[in-house]
Amino acid sequence: MKSDLPTVKLLNRVLKNELTATNQFFLHARMYKNWGLNALNDHTYKASIKAMKQADDLIERVLFLEGLPNLQDLGKLLIGENTDEMLRGDVTLVTAMRTQLVEGIGHCESATDYVSRELLEDILEHTEDHMDWLETQLSLIDKVGSKNYLQAMM
Amino acid sequence: MYICICEQVTDREIKAAINEGASSLRDLRNELGIAKECGQCGHCAKAMLKEHADHNRSERPPLPKQAPSCGSTDLFPLFGHAILASD
Ligand code: FES
Repeated sequence: MKSDLPTVKLLNRVLKNELTATNQFFLHARMYKNWGLNALNDHTYKASIKAMKQADDLIERVLFLEGLPNLQDLGKLLIGENTDEMLRGDVTLVTAMRTQLVEGIGHCESATDYVSRELLEDILEHTEDHMDWLETQLSLIDKVGSKNYLQAMM
Repeated sequence: MYICICEQVTDREIKAAINEGASSLRDLRNELGIAKECGQCGHCAKAMLKEHADHNRSERPPLPKQAPSCGSTDLFPLFGHAILASD
């Protein structure tokens, strides 16, 4: 199969975000763990592993399209100093990812690359789930206060 | 939040340096040691410098509106923009 270059570029940009997310979530997870916030560690660790698996799917797809997956490019990590900032940093990243995925799905649709589209749709679904979870956490902090929230996450 | 991961420099430290007169990335580099290694923080540091400059400019008009909060959470939209811009 001949590579459709714009699609490869697009998949590489999505890959960059997935790799960034893998690292950002991983570090945040282990910071939570270090503070004894095990519930947050568990969830964020899983999100990191999921992002890595999605990066893997993207890598395989790019190779199949005869492109070179770019594992070198990584975005700026948004690392917070406390739980609230960490959750917000993750929301920022996930929001940027979502915007990009929605655009990407449109591109794949018009390029009639339905397999890439399906892959991006799958990633979008998980991205939105994670965004939903993050927003729930922030609204919980708002409702019950930071102290009570952190106690519940231990 | 951490702006420069390589040197462990936070937004508060950068804001303090800007308030004390740092007006360029070079100033920040000299004072705080940021943007010397991977350079990933340059984008965000510049965005903070720009926000400070814009803020100062908008403070001049006769009707001083309520000062925009400089709390770090307000910076997140800025960074979201930086992420997309660097694609
Ligand atoms: S993050 Fe500042 S130099 Fe690497």
